[in-house]
Amino acid sequence: MTADTQRKRAMGHVLLLGAGLLVLTVISAASVYLVNMAREDARKVVRTLEVENQISLVQLQLRRAESAQRGYLATLRPDFQADFEQAMTELAPSLTRLSQLISDNPVQRRLIDEMMPLYDQRVEEFRTTMELARSQRMSDAAKIVREGIGRDTMKHLEDLAVRMRAEEDRLFVERTTNADRSQTLAASITGIGSGLVVVLAGIAILLVRRSSHARDLADARLRDSHLNLEATIDERTADLREANDEIQRFAYIVSHDLRSPLVNIMGFTSELEELRGDIFKRIAALSRAQSEAPPAPENATDTAEPALEGADKQLSQDFSEALGFIKSSIGKMDRLISAILNLTREGRREFEPVWIDTRELIEAIVTTVAHQAAEAQAEIRIDALPNIVSDRLALEQIFSNLIDNALKYLKTGVPGEISVRGRTKLGFAIFEISDNGRGIDPKDHQRIFDLFRRAGTQDKPGQGIGLAHVRALVRRLGGTMAVSSELHQGSTFTITLPINWPAGNRKTRT
Amino acid sequence: MSNPVTIIMIEDDEGHARLIERNIRRSGVNNEIIPFTSGTAALNYLFGTDGTGLNHKGSALLILLDLNLPDTTGIDILKRVKENKYLKTTPVVVLTTTDDSHEIKRCYELGCNVYITKPVNYESFANAIRQLGLFFSVIQVPPAAI
Repeated sequence: MTADTQRKRAMGHVLLLGAGLLVLTVISAASVYLVNMAREDARKVVRTLEVENQISLVQLQLRRAESAQRGYLATLRPDFQADFEQAMTELAPSLTRLSQLISDNPVQRRLIDEMMPLYDQRVEEFRTTMELARSQRMSDAAKIVREGIGRDTMKHLEDLAVRMRAEEDRLFVERTTNADRSQTLAASITGIGSGLVVVLAGIAILLVRRSSHARDLADARLRDSHLNLEATIDERTADLREANDEIQRFAYIVSHDLRSPLVNIMGFTSELEELRGDIFKRIAALSRAQSEAPPAPENATDTAEPALEGADKQLSQDFSEALGFIKSSIGKMDRLISAILNLTREGRREFEPVWIDTRELIEAIVTTVAHQAAEAQAEIRIDALPNIVSDRLALEQIFSNLIDNALKYLKTGVPGEISVRGRTKLGFAIFEISDNGRGIDPKDHQRIFDLFRRAGTQDKPGQGIGLAHVRALVRRLGGTMAVSSELHQGSTFTITLPINWPAGNRKTRT
Repeated sequence: MSNPVTIIMIEDDEGHARLIERNIRRSGVNNEIIPFTSGTAALNYLFGTDGTGLNHKGSALLILLDLNLPDTTGIDILKRVKENKYLKTTPVVVLTTTDDSHEIKRCYELGCNVYITKPVNYESFANAIRQLGLFFSVIQVPPAAI
């Protein structure tokens, strides 16, 4: 699976989640809004009903007041008057309530504004007639009633009330419809929303299933590639091992084949040397014979160098010198070849990890170099050292090479101080061999580890093999090696080796 | 040597062959030395045209063998000689540059009688060969027969 499709899939998931959230939010908001609207509508409906009720109440009170007035006019009984007063007291709050209820409706307000003075007028008329009746002016009161002004007003009021009721009826119908619509809308929105959520959930399940399928596939592929990788690593390791073996074989064969002609060179040089003796003996004899000198007793000087003179002597010396150079060069070459042979042999030796008391091992080495140390006035100090599991012989070679070097390259005239320290870190043992010797120029730090390369003053015998060998051993033991040194400031060689070197992590050719 | 023992020298390096012969002669051994510079030629001589080694029945041989040969390895020659019923009693002296302990062990396992490493130092070399010559002069070689 490419990264692109993966990103697309992730985007799809995010979008889906977002869409789901959005739908839910919208549904919730819409539901809340619609429910509120429905409640509002319901409240309005209720108010409409209340308005109608209030209108009836006002009319009832007015009618009650009228009948009380009539009763009073007819009988002058005070309980009619009380009745009237009660109707009056109930009329006022009813009117106020009515005007409050319809205050938001301009149509109704206009109607009630029109109504208000009529009511006042009518109440005023009632009071006037009742006042007249009480002061025994019945005829005036009857006259007012007969005039019919009151009836007209009453009619007008009825009209207004009817209009108001009609208005409220209209509002009632409208509001009921509204409430119904809101409820239907709320229900349908909820329904649609639920449907959408279900659809989204379905898509989500589909996507999750698809991506889990993809993940399973990727898992399988990962396992495959892991196996492949391991196979590849095995293959490469085998290749490397083969290449290494090849190099070992190569070095071995080359050094062998180099040795063969060397035997000839050395052999025939020696033969030449013998011939030289014979030749110069004859030359000496011949020159003596020429100069008529008394012949020397042949048998007495047979092995001795014949006495030569002048040019012959020079010739003999040149001959010896040339042969000497040839022989010393052959000797050197032989040592180098032997060194390579030894190295390849070391490279082929199988390591055997054993538990090693490092301090004991180094003390043994120090004992073997005690004589050299005494000669160099050097003191070797061994600190506490971590014990490790490794190859004993290799470790011996590593430490004895380093201690040897430390002793070999001390400053002349300065008592040597050599110390071996050790510590552990993260499963590795770190050993440090430091000296106060002549030190190594930093530019030579790499070079000293190369085969046949040396650094500094060449006043000590050596082939330039020790450190190369040590480093090869340390590497084979799964460790690393480093040097820190300044010229004339002493050197510290640091060796890091695994504390528990596992056996057989490197197959060697036998 | 009492009976005429023939020394078969199988050595590809003519220089080495010459030095060996010279030093053997210097130690006073005058037996016939037949040099071979390749393994194939030596095998042809040793085993004859029929490859059985029958032609050497009854003759006393001593083989000087180098291990590093261009065509066959000395080990193969040693093996074949020691497996042949006529030649198996023939003493074989391995004289070679190889001083690998595995190689030495293998040669002795295969029946080699003496293993000598050629020293580069000529004095040692000459010395070794002369000692070998002395050895030859006292060694009793049985005739190549059953």
